[in-house]
Amino acid sequence: MAQRAGQKRKVVEVPRPEEDSGVDEELDNVVLNGALSDDGESEDEFSTEDGDGDVDGDEDELDDDEIDSDEIPSSEDEDDIRGQMEKLKTNGRPKTPPEKLMGSDTGHDINTFSPETPMKPLEVEGKKRRTFTRIDVDANGEPRYIYDEIEPNYDSDDSDFLVPTNTIGDIPLTYYDEYPHIGYDINGRRIARPAKGEALDSLLDSIDIPEGWTGLTDPNTGKPMQLTGADLEILKKLTRNEAPGEGYDPYPDMVEYFTGKGMEMTMPLSAAPEPKRRFVPSMHEHKRVMKMVKAIKEGRIKPYSKPTEADREREEAEQDFASFDIWANEIPRPDHPMNIPAPKLPPPGYEESYHPPPEYLPDKQEREAWEQQDEEDRERYAKLVKEKFERCLDLYLAPRVRRSKLNIDPESLLPKLPDPNELRPFPSVCATIYKGHEGRIRSLSIESYGKYVATGGDDGTVRVWEIVSGKQLWRIRLSSSEAVNQVSWQPSRETCIIAACCGEQVHFIVPQGEICNPEQDRRSREVLDSGFGYAASNATKTAAGVDKPSSANWLRPSQTLQDKGVLLTITLRSSPKTLAWHRRGDYFSTVSPSTTSTSTAVAVHTLSKHQTQYPFRRLKGLAQTVCFHPSKPLFFVATRQSIRIYDLQQQRLEKQLQPGAQWISAISLHPLGSNLLVSSYDKRLLWHDLDLGATPYKTLRYHSKAIRSVQFHPSLPLFADASDDGTLQVFHGNVMGDSLDNATVVPLKVLRGHKVVKNLGVLDVEWHPREAWCVSAGADGVARLWT
Amino acid sequence: MGREKKKGTSGSAKNYLTRSQAVRKLQISLADFRRLCIFKGIYPREPRSKKRVSKSSTPSTTFYYTKDIHYLLHEPLLNKFRDQKSLAKKISKALGRNEVSDASRLERNLKPRMRLDHIIKERYPTFVDALRDLDDALSMLFLFANLPSTAEVPAKIIAKCQRLTLEFEHYLIRTHSLRKSFLSIKGIYYQATIQGQDILWLVPYKFVQRTGADVDYRIMATFVEFYTTLLGFVNFRLYTSIGLVYPPTFDSKSEEQGAELGAFQLEPRNGEEQQQIEGAMDVETNEKAQAEADRLLSLPEEQSEQNGQGDEADGVEDAEENPSSALDTFASIDEKADTLLQPSATADSETAGKLFENFTVFLSREAPRNPLEFILKAFGCKRVGWDSSLGEPGAYCSEDDTRITHQVVDRPDIPLPSPPLTDGEVDMDVDEVDGMPPTKSNERVPGRIYVQPQWVWDSINAGQLQRPDLYAPGATLPPHLSPWVKAKRGAYDPTLSLAEQETAAEAEMEDEEDEIEEGKAGEEVEGVRGDGEARKLEEALKDEEDGGMDVNLAGSEDDESEDDEVEPNGEAAVDEAEWGGLSGDEVEDIGDSAARQAQAELEAEALGRTPAPASTSAKDKRKKEREVAQAKRKRDERERLEDIDRRKGMASRKFRKSYEKMAYSNARTDEEAEKLRAKRRKIERGVVKS
Repeated sequence: MAQRAGQKRKVVEVPRPEEDSGVDEELDNVVLNGALSDDGESEDEFSTEDGDGDVDGDEDELDDDEIDSDEIPSSEDEDDIRGQMEKLKTNGRPKTPPEKLMGSDTGHDINTFSPETPMKPLEVEGKKRRTFTRIDVDANGEPRYIYDEIEPNYDSDDSDFLVPTNTIGDIPLTYYDEYPHIGYDINGRRIARPAKGEALDSLLDSIDIPEGWTGLTDPNTGKPMQLTGADLEILKKLTRNEAPGEGYDPYPDMVEYFTGKGMEMTMPLSAAPEPKRRFVPSMHEHKRVMKMVKAIKEGRIKPYSKPTEADREREEAEQDFASFDIWANEIPRPDHPMNIPAPKLPPPGYEESYHPPPEYLPDKQEREAWEQQDEEDRERYAKLVKEKFERCLDLYLAPRVRRSKLNIDPESLLPKLPDPNELRPFPSVCATIYKGHEGRIRSLSIESYGKYVATGGDDGTVRVWEIVSGKQLWRIRLSSSEAVNQVSWQPSRETCIIAACCGEQVHFIVPQGEICNPEQDRRSREVLDSGFGYAASNATKTAAGVDKPSSANWLRPSQTLQDKGVLLTITLRSSPKTLAWHRRGDYFSTVSPSTTSTSTAVAVHTLSKHQTQYPFRRLKGLAQTVCFHPSKPLFFVATRQSIRIYDLQQQRLEKQLQPGAQWISAISLHPLGSNLLVSSYDKRLLWHDLDLGATPYKTLRYHSKAIRSVQFHPSLPLFADASDDGTLQVFHGNVMGDSLDNATVVPLKVLRGHKVVKNLGVLDVEWHPREAWCVSAGADGVARLWT
Repeated sequence: MGREKKKGTSGSAKNYLTRSQAVRKLQISLADFRRLCIFKGIYPREPRSKKRVSKSSTPSTTFYYTKDIHYLLHEPLLNKFRDQKSLAKKISKALGRNEVSDASRLERNLKPRMRLDHIIKERYPTFVDALRDLDDALSMLFLFANLPSTAEVPAKIIAKCQRLTLEFEHYLIRTHSLRKSFLSIKGIYYQATIQGQDILWLVPYKFVQRTGADVDYRIMATFVEFYTTLLGFVNFRLYTSIGLVYPPTFDSKSEEQGAELGAFQLEPRNGEEQQQIEGAMDVETNEKAQAEADRLLSLPEEQSEQNGQGDEADGVEDAEENPSSALDTFASIDEKADTLLQPSATADSETAGKLFENFTVFLSREAPRNPLEFILKAFGCKRVGWDSSLGEPGAYCSEDDTRITHQVVDRPDIPLPSPPLTDGEVDMDVDEVDGMPPTKSNERVPGRIYVQPQWVWDSINAGQLQRPDLYAPGATLPPHLSPWVKAKRGAYDPTLSLAEQETAAEAEMEDEEDEIEEGKAGEEVEGVRGDGEARKLEEALKDEEDGGMDVNLAGSEDDESEDDEVEPNGEAAVDEAEWGGLSGDEVEDIGDSAARQAQAELEAEALGRTPAPASTSAKDKRKKEREVAQAKRKRDERERLEDIDRRKGMASRKFRKSYEKMAYSNARTDEEAEKLRAKRRKIERGVVKS
């Protein structure tokens, strides 16, 4: 109803004064109606007879009204209205406070209620005649209707119609505390502040509290607020979360409009008659059933019977025991490298026996030690189950890896060497000792027939010994102060010449006595003398041509020396340390590493011409030793760290070897000329295959001290080295004739015997030309023959 | 330049999965994954570089091969596991609603039945593969067959294990394929050869096995489940291969009475001649057997002996008639010739089947019945009887049977007070009347051989019957040795004498000890005679040793002595020179020393003293021999070392290093062997002394 009233009010706002009155009348009726019902005389009346009739009427009227009155879309309004009506009908809320509904419509709060409002609706309605009194023209020249003073909420049941409503908006009243008024009415006039009650009045009020007294002041009007009993009732219900209206039934009985007795609807979908097939048994079903019947008759289908325990057991037993051969047609699977079968447990050993040999049982000490151990650490056998469990864990948890465990004899790792006995002959024992030198023996040389050994040492003597007996046959003191650095027999067989380097001189000696037969003696002297003639005849030429001071003096020594056998002496600028003969015995080369200029370190001499040449103008590094190739015109020069091979005919560098040694001490060329042995002071012996490359084919490190000398046997596949640790090592070094096979190197024997004197052991070693004998010269002043 | 490669997308990172990845991939629980792995035989792998394989920063421990996991994805068992899981849910739901009957119905009807047949076929594509992997299976099943039934190990599983293992034993008995057995502290090891595959398994003793809390029976049960299926199929194949029906008829009643092997009755397939295994023969005729035995006892002993002889003779004749396919032993005539490794004597099922063929063996009450019965039958013995307390059915005869040739006893030999001679027959009568066993404990029946159980084991391991007197009751048994230990060089071998295997150094030490002991003994003895001589003798001995050195010195330094120069550090030089391998001298030295000894004796005689007693000379002789052997050994050793040094020099660095490593580890085994030898020496000496 209030909704409807709101609706009307909207309509009212539309400037249609003529119709407005009618509407208002209607409205009045309605309001009256509502007011009547508000009186609360009878619920029945309202909810049933009155309600029905009235509302229907209202509705019609409203419809009319709207139809002719406005442009405002009405359908939703209608719906609203209907909804409201239905609510009214169904809910039966006779005491719905209109002001509240009103408030919801107009935006007023509930505290704008005044207690009197519901009491005097009639009077309100009577006074409220809203008609505009005059029409003015406003600033824009449009008509302006000026109304009577209208109560703002005219159709509320607010009873203080006398007091114009304050229209100050949402401003607290305290703002007007300073003023005599408290706001303005709709026409802008001030509303006077209501007179406050006297103190006595308030006292009286406080003494007997009037009905509905709240003690609150209406903020809008400044009057004390009072609540009626009905209001209180409503508030009470609201606080209890109940429906505010009285007699409201939240669960009304359902009204059966379309169902229930006598209201059934008969709505057949199709009126066609039932087909025949609905009444005839299915042929296909019949066929299927007959099939089953047949199967049952034939025993193919057995009627279901509940499986008994016995059946179940039988079934299980069938499952438990294999009833077919799973490997009936076995196809072997090729072994896959990723499939690693579990390793088998090792078989038990002797110690696991229940009755082992007594040595496997713990003796007293072990038992005591065992008992003293911690309880957990004690090893003993108790838990087979545990062991099997751990095996299970191993089987499924342990990663399996194929490890090639070398279950072989470790010796099979080492190369199979030929038996030393098969490689005989080689020197193994000391056969002869040559004693006589005072101080070290620096060098030795064996005569080409292999009968005599010449040695030279620190005492400045050269001695010749018979090789087998060790008898000293001849000796000569070349110098009292300087050592004989090198002695060397001339390789030629017809002659018998020893070249000895002593100080800066190289002496050529033909030993006296029975060492060389007269023929040899004569031939030797011839060879040594022939050069003088040549030098004399060619001296002027060369001197004129080159105009260079002779670098070496080829002289006859003093008569005393000549008498002793020294027939020729060369004096060089620096002292030669090594001397190497060419195969034919005409050329020889000396190396003097201590020279000041590297160009004069290596000298090549021609014996027959008494000529000395320095083939290298400039040599990289300090020359250590040299050697001639046995068959080709190649010349090997070893500096401290590298070996250069020169072609003497073409005068160019053929090859350079890098043995990797820090300081080369000696080199030795294999008689076939394709392999070179290099010994070094840094304890290494290096085998170079000249066909292979610049780096060594094999590096042997067996000595604990520096290696002084190394030598190939001239005819047998042997070589030996001499070291400062006082030992000689003999190797089998077989070089194949063709270059396809690598050389085989087999260590054979360590020859011990020389003593180490002042950190020097064996200084030189030389092989017998035919036999597998070698002679070594030691720093202990003895030379030894090893056979 | 291509795109940068993402880590873990190729190479070995893709080849491996961690365990959690695998579980996630298969979408099963970890426990199910474990079961699946056990069934399928999938095991983790060790990638070459763990770091390269793992994709996470935390180090993973277990890696599986990705292909293995992919292979598991298609496993039908996976679905069964899922079914089981859903069934478990249903059951727990039903139980939650208190619908017990529903739950039991669900369990009964919906429980997925897992068959492992296809897995067995997969894992062992051929029968030989299965045999190769039977070691663990048999050990496990035998262990479970001997476990007490608990909540974790239900009696059903135990019964199944027992049945399967007994069936397997029956096959071995039938085919005589058992080869070796060994009594260890863990249990009894058996080795059988089936189709060329050696199968070694362990059977625990019939003790209550101690189990700790740290044993997870679920894992073991999974293994057992797999192994039972495997052994079932293996048994089927084995039985059908020798023409028997599988499964054999199982008499549960006699099984309850303790007839273990005898509870089975093997039947030939498709109507072959009905054969019954001997064990099942005398099952319920015990009373009759008793009566028979009594009757036989009353017969004069000669007869029975005659019978026995006749039997034996028959056996021999048979053996002669049938050309045996057994291997002959090759005895080399020349000792120097190389000896070839011969196959062991029991390698043939025919010889194995004949070892105990003619015997009737009775097992005493205290002897372990199951292993003895099994072994005896597997090695041809058809008539095994035992005391009724060891299980009633299956025994061939009772103790008083006269056919018994051997009786296995395992109790100390306590001599009985010899009964009065005249009462003998009366006693017998009394016994007969009473129906009491005629022999009391420890009483010996003449005509029988009494042995301890170890005799059986040692006999089968040696492939021939051992001397029974060594194993007589109460005798100290010879040590029981494992038949599988192969003699390795350097390892201790208790079968050889000490002198044969000890190293030179040890022998030397021993000699020294001997000398010391002898010295002590000498002092004790010669204190009476006067110490002087003894001392002199000892000194002479010492001198000889020194003399030996002198001779060496002389030998090697001959050349040097020419110059008559005595070098200050001659000793060292001597040693070095001696290293040159002039060991031939040493032998001479010893000869020399002998000569000197004789000389000393002569001198002593000349001085008028009593010559050294003969005993000492014998001792010396022994000592000389020893010295000779020792010198030889020393020389060999030295030569070997020298040779190795040379070869080591020529080996490449890599090989040299690995050689050195191996030599080191070998030295450790040598150490162990040395320890054992030392112990044995001590023991032997103790025995000699006492």
